[in-house]
This record gives sequence, C-alpha cells and structure tokens, in this order.
Amino acid sequence: MTLSFIHSFQSEWLKSRRSLTSWLVIIGGFFIPLIFFIGRIVYREKTAAESASPEFWQNLAGQCWQLMALFLLPMGIILATSLITQIEFRNNTWKQVHTTPQSYSVIFWGKLAVIMAMLVQFFILFNIGIFLAGALPALLFPAIDYPQQPFPFRFFWDTGLRFFIASLPIVAMQYLISLQFRNFFVPLGAGIGLLLASLTVLEWEYGYLLPYSYSPYNFFILRGADMKALAGTDLEWYALGYSVLFIAVSFVLYIAKKDKG
Amino acid sequence: MHIIEATGLSYRFSRNDRPVLDNIQLQVKEGSIYGFLGPNGAGKTTTLRLILGLLRKQEGDISIFGEAFGRRRVALLRRIGTLIESPSVYGHLTATENLAVWQKVFQCPRSRIAEVLKIVGLQDTGSKKARQFSLGMKQRLGIAAALLHQPDLLVLDEPTNGLDPAGIVEMRELLKKLNKEQGITILISSHLLPEIEKLATDVGIIHRGQMLFQGTLEALMQRQRQASRIVMETGDNPAALQLLAGLHIPARMEDNGISLAAAEKSVLADINRQLVLQGIDVWRIAAVEEDLESVFMNLTNTN
Repeated sequence: MTLSFIHSFQSEWLKSRRSLTSWLVIIGGFFIPLIFFIGRIVYREKTAAESASPEFWQNLAGQCWQLMALFLLPMGIILATSLITQIEFRNNTWKQVHTTPQSYSVIFWGKLAVIMAMLVQFFILFNIGIFLAGALPALLFPAIDYPQQPFPFRFFWDTGLRFFIASLPIVAMQYLISLQFRNFFVPLGAGIGLLLASLTVLEWEYGYLLPYSYSPYNFFILRGADMKALAGTDLEWYALGYSVLFIAVSFVLYIAKKDKG
Repeated sequence: MHIIEATGLSYRFSRNDRPVLDNIQLQVKEGSIYGFLGPNGAGKTTTLRLILGLLRKQEGDISIFGEAFGRRRVALLRRIGTLIESPSVYGHLTATENLAVWQKVFQCPRSRIAEVLKIVGLQDTGSKKARQFSLGMKQRLGIAAALLHQPDLLVLDEPTNGLDPAGIVEMRELLKKLNKEQGITILISSHLLPEIEKLATDVGIIHRGQMLFQGTLEALMQRQRQASRIVMETGDNPAALQLLAGLHIPARMEDNGISLAAAEKSVLADINRQLVLQGIDVWRIAAVEEDLESVFMNLTNTN
C-alpha cells in the first residue's frame, strides 16, 4: 500500500510538470516578494532606515502576508487545486487512470498529496522570496545595510503554519468539487462564491464559521486583532475540523461514483 | 480457457431507461483476437467499460483470467492494457513524459518507454507536446501506453479511429504480431466489419444492447455461405415453383424470380433439365453470394 502510494505520488507529480498549476506556484510564490524587492531598491533611503529596525523581518513578512492573505492566497489555492484535479477531465484520462493497477484510495490520496506538496512548495518559495526581498538589496547596493535583526525562523515558521492550516479547508473543498464535476467553471465558480461570501461576512460574529474565512482572518491577526476572543477558540481548530470533514466527504463521494471514466 | 467471461450483463443508465445492455454473454478465449462488432451506439463501449470496472456493474458476472474482477481488480489490471474510446494523453507533456506517468504506476523498466514508442512509430517526436499531435498520433500513443507493461490481455475500443489507411494496416499488423509472437489475447471493438474480418479469430456481434452472434470467424463465414442462394428466372415461374416442390426442393417466389438455397452444380443442372423437359423456358440461373457485410446487416436489421 505504501509503495503503491509512493508510485502513485510520483506519477501524479510528473503530470503536474509544466502544468499551469506549477507555474502558478512559482509565480504566486515570488510575485509579492518581488514587488517588495523592487520597492526597496527604488526607495533606497527608506530601505536603509528600515534595515536598522529591530523588527525588520516581522514587518516585512507581515506586509507580504497581509497582501497575500485577504484575496490572493485563497484565490490561488482555488485555482491551483481545481486545475490540478481537473487535469484528468481536461485530458480525458480518468478512464486510463482507473484502469491502472491502483486502488481507488491510492489514486485519491496520491492526487491530494501532490496538491499538498505544491502548497508546501508555494509556502517555501514565498518565504524564500520574503528573505530575498529583505536580504538582496543589501547585497546589491552598498548604501543599504544588511538587516540588523537576526532572521526570526520561529516567526516565519509559526506564520507559515498558521496560513497553511487556514488554507486546508479551501484545498479540501476545491478537491471535493473538482473531483465531481467535469466542467472547470463549477469548482472555480463555487470557490470564488464561497470566498466572496466569507469576505462579506468577516465582521459578522459568526463569520469564522465559513470555511474560506481563515486566511482573511489571519490578515486581521497580523494586524493585531484577537480572533480567539471572537471565535472562542483558535481558528486553526475550525480549519482543521472543516478540512477533515470535507476530505472525508470527498473520499466517500469519489469511491461511490458509479461512472469512473 | 476463457480470459474474459461475462455472463448475464445488463445495464441501464437510469432506472426508467430501456437497458443499454441486455443479458450479454461474452467469452474471450485465451490467445484469441476477439472482434467485438456492432454499429455505433450498440453497447460496445458500455460493455468494455463494465468489464474494466469503469462503470459499476448492475447485473451479471465478470471474470478475467478466471477470477472475479470486483474482488481482484488491482491484481487483474496489472495484466491488462487498455485503450477506451478517444486516446488518453496529457496534452502538456511529451510522448515520453506521458508514458513515464504510466511507467511509474506499473513500475516497469524505464527502457520500455523507448521500446513501445518505437513499436508505434513515435520515437522521433522529441520535445513536441502531445497536444500538438494529430488524432492518429494520439491514438498510437494510447496504444503505446496500453503495451507499456507487457500485458497478457489488451482491451482496445475502436483503436483505429483517426488513423489513416496506412496507419490502420500498420495497427492491424502490429496487433497480429503481438498476438502471434507474444501470445497476447486481444479484445478489440469496432463498427467496421472489414477491419475485424481481416484481424479477428473470434467475433461477437452486438446490436441495441443484445448479443446477436458469438463464435469463431469461421462460424460467421459458415453462416455467410449458408446465406448464399440461387435465383432463377423462367418463362413460367408459378409452374417452375410447382415443379421444384415436386422435386422436394424448398423455394420461394421473389420479385425477380424464384429463390432457392445454394446447391451443388449437378443438382442445378438437373433442375434446369427438368424445367426444359416440362417446356418451361429458363432465362437465368444465378448464384447470389452474400458477403459478411450482408450477414452483419441482416443480423442487425432483423433485430
């Protein structure tokens, strides 16, 4: 079982090569850090002053994540998950996948694992991008000092983990819908609809119950809001709960599908 | 031994629809090339999808290599190569990358990729993406994927779709070679009788979800020979019919004369002599040979 899962993962990973999703991960990972990098080399005087700040890295990462959190990250996940899952529908390959010697559960988890791996890849690239946006200007321009604050690995890890968990319900729901519908616009439309609904009710006292709201909520957490006071518990638990629920439903629906290609 | 044995297969897409398959019995012998023949929409693809587990079985039993498919799905699929309907290729990948996707799953040697690409004549496609391939090239890539893990059984649904005449001949020769040299059993569906006639050892004919014929190609040809008849035109057809009845030769009146079953030349000569002796002018005695196509058309039109 483990071996066939690994083989399935390798096969799924190969399919994602040069796909739109793989480009989305790379471009999405570096897009915002690149804007900050350009901003820092254009406004060098301001950059020189920032580099001396004892909270330089937190400020830079916080600004990058804030731009990402509200719309770009959820939207990117909606697009990437739907695109990668729909590879089979788009290429008319479900029938070939389902006549290979793999159990249905291996196929299900193999695909999901690749999506998760791409999400991790995105987070790694985004954090590398933030680091480069902070460090590179000093290496390229002598007038800019290298940030004096030691790099806060713990802060980057914690923030990244919080956003990763916030992303999981979106991945799970998009995976569920994309496995069921041949038409790409169904998961895309549903994803955008759920995201807009979540953004609309962010200030409602029960807004945290909407599964696409956790990344936008993290935006407010980064700005200093105490969301635990609002939800009564850490939002991560809601995100994890929804993720488990959606994945379980998705698995059952996928296994029970009468027509497999 | 039967490599595939499907008994009592019935299927309907929704409860209120008429069945698209009705009590199908299908037996594919080991080492045979089984031509699964029928007009478009007859139920060929639905049958193949049921056999391969792509559709959930409603009624009937399916066993492959002597084992119930449902219970041993993964192990059985390891021995089967498939190409169902239109080719399954990842458009953003090259031919080699497409096959590498399946090679990872089947865990066959990587060298097989180059081998099967050569077999299907796609070894020179290089970095060209599969989306730029013609339909025929995609079809050949689909065949390559089916052959990659050296299966014991090939299930091919209309594999010559999109191929040019030369490609069709090449494909036919390739399948014959695989069958003969490697002993691969092949189940191939088609709506084209001449294609099956030149390739298959066994034939199943399906129409409107019902199996009309199943047997060897030889048995089908026998039926063709039996369907051949003699047509006779005389100056007085009713009198001639009466004379034939007297000779205990079954015959019937048709628009263009009298029709009777094919017979030996000596019998025909005798009939001719008797007619002339009775003063009936004989204008024409002709053999009407039914080809396989007519047999196929007769089978599918009468049902």
